[in-house]
Amino acid sequence: MSREPLVQGGTVFDIGYQRYDGPREGRQRPRRAVFKDGLRIAFGLGRGPRAKLLPWTFISLLCLIALIMALIAGAADRIAGQGAAERANLPSHGDFNAFASMLLFAFAALAAPELLCRDRRDGVLSLYLVRPLTGSDYVMARWSAFLVVMLLAALLPQTILFIGLVLGDLEPMVYFRTHWLDVPRFLGAGVAMATYLTSLALLVASFTSRRAYASVFLVGLFAITTPFTAGLAQELPGAVGQWVSMFNVTNIPLHVNDVFFGATTELTEDAPARELGSTMLVGWWALTTALATTVLWSRYRRMTP
Amino acid sequence: MTAPGILAAEHLTKDYPNGVRALDDVSFTVDDGITGILGENGAGKSTAIKILLGLLRPTSGRALVLGQDANADITVRARLGYMPEHDCLPSQVSAAEFLTHMAEVSGLPPKVARTRAADTLRHTGLFEERYRAIGGYSTGMKQRVKLAQSLVHDPAVVFLDEPTAGLDPAGREEMLDLIRKTHREFGISVLFSSHLMGDVERTCDRIIVINGGHVVHHGEVAGFTREMETVFIEVDHGREGLIAALAARGVTASEDAGGLVLSGVDESIYDIVRDALVASGAPLRRMAPRRRALTELFERGGAPA
Repeated sequence: MSREPLVQGGTVFDIGYQRYDGPREGRQRPRRAVFKDGLRIAFGLGRGPRAKLLPWTFISLLCLIALIMALIAGAADRIAGQGAAERANLPSHGDFNAFASMLLFAFAALAAPELLCRDRRDGVLSLYLVRPLTGSDYVMARWSAFLVVMLLAALLPQTILFIGLVLGDLEPMVYFRTHWLDVPRFLGAGVAMATYLTSLALLVASFTSRRAYASVFLVGLFAITTPFTAGLAQELPGAVGQWVSMFNVTNIPLHVNDVFFGATTELTEDAPARELGSTMLVGWWALTTALATTVLWSRYRRMTP
Repeated sequence: MTAPGILAAEHLTKDYPNGVRALDDVSFTVDDGITGILGENGAGKSTAIKILLGLLRPTSGRALVLGQDANADITVRARLGYMPEHDCLPSQVSAAEFLTHMAEVSGLPPKVARTRAADTLRHTGLFEERYRAIGGYSTGMKQRVKLAQSLVHDPAVVFLDEPTAGLDPAGREEMLDLIRKTHREFGISVLFSSHLMGDVERTCDRIIVINGGHVVHHGEVAGFTREMETVFIEVDHGREGLIAALAARGVTASEDAGGLVLSGVDESIYDIVRDALVASGAPLRRMAPRRRALTELFERGGAPA
């Protein structure tokens, strides 16, 4: 039996150029489009494997560390009995942020310049600014996109750690009832870390069109100022030493982490800034973050192509 | 006061902070069609375009776009397209993805943006290459992408800043064809800035000539072309006699480059020259039509409207 061809031929008509009479969605759609594009750039979506390698390696590494910490705690409880992990003072949520901060700083230094430098270097920014989008709209959309990325990097591993600790405990419901307050604590500390790093990294990136310069400067900022301020603060007495310690850029969000968890980490336990009190430490974080965001915004506010 | 067209400049003056006056009491209107802004580098063309796009505020005067003040509401830019002279394309993404994104940034809903991106790439001759990264495109293809991004949201008027810059003769012809097609087939008005008289003459219906921040000519291209055309005559001897014979027939000749230049000519000039040569007895060595350089026009203080 002969089979009929599925398509018996046809004609493709060129109906010519079509005018568009549909809706134009004001300024909201452009803002959302730049935000969405920022997420795609940061996660390497729609780009080659090399663009995906960096963000997903960092996020996977952070999640893996959290998973290993949860597995060790669960194993300790099973080997040495209920509560053994706590008795041995194994690292938990507060300490995780101290380990993770180094990776988060490195991630921010490498990923943030991608969101701003390329647009300036390629000249794409001039195309954005002739559309229904202001410089403020653009930079705030990019800031929001990178904040989402940093929140994911900061909070996903903590969530995995908490779930792992609950499920790994011999009595999961008891562990949940006694430790549920860790959830708002790590959420608060994570938000503080993410907003601080987002603003600082994007601010540095806004000063150059070359990604490598911004990344090297940020890594240098974290790697050089930390031992310098820590060493100088130990040498200087009293309030002067405490204030010098406040300029340790890596410790600023970690002090907020300490305030949320009510305990210091290995990175902050010797910092003289700690003696200035919780209000001052949280206020300093808020001030530096707000200042970085304001300067970033003002750099783009009146920008013209 | 100038009657408002699609675009209108009303007594625009622009002083930059460094003391440079880029535009000095400039008034013109742009109606439906292809209008060329002609002027040398630094004449004030880009400043005029940036004011019309609402990117610069004039020191005094007013710019109207589609009947609205260009600086009053940026949502009017959803109906404008802009193709800059400089590089403005991301190298990593495909033309399809880039155009979809730019359509969304112009306020189009995502589904419509995708459809229009594909359509626009087809109309600009890039449909087959739409999924390749823009970084691998030739100069001519990149110019087409630049034009496509300015059309993707179906603007009412598109501003093209030196669209043929950097193109070889074949690429230049293709780009000029596309510009003509943009108005004649797509129905989009074009404001086309260039310092190349030939490009403007072959493409535009009307012309605005700017020099030193002033409009020196504003009108139909045909009239401007007549003004720019000259006839160059070289004789073996008897030049003074020929000048007198031409003057007797109402034609003024100026001496230039060892010959005579006749300005403001039309087809009848060749008969007049023949008669003057016969009357003066000067032996003709060479006679040819010649185009006056734009600089000569500016040196003379502008062309009549």
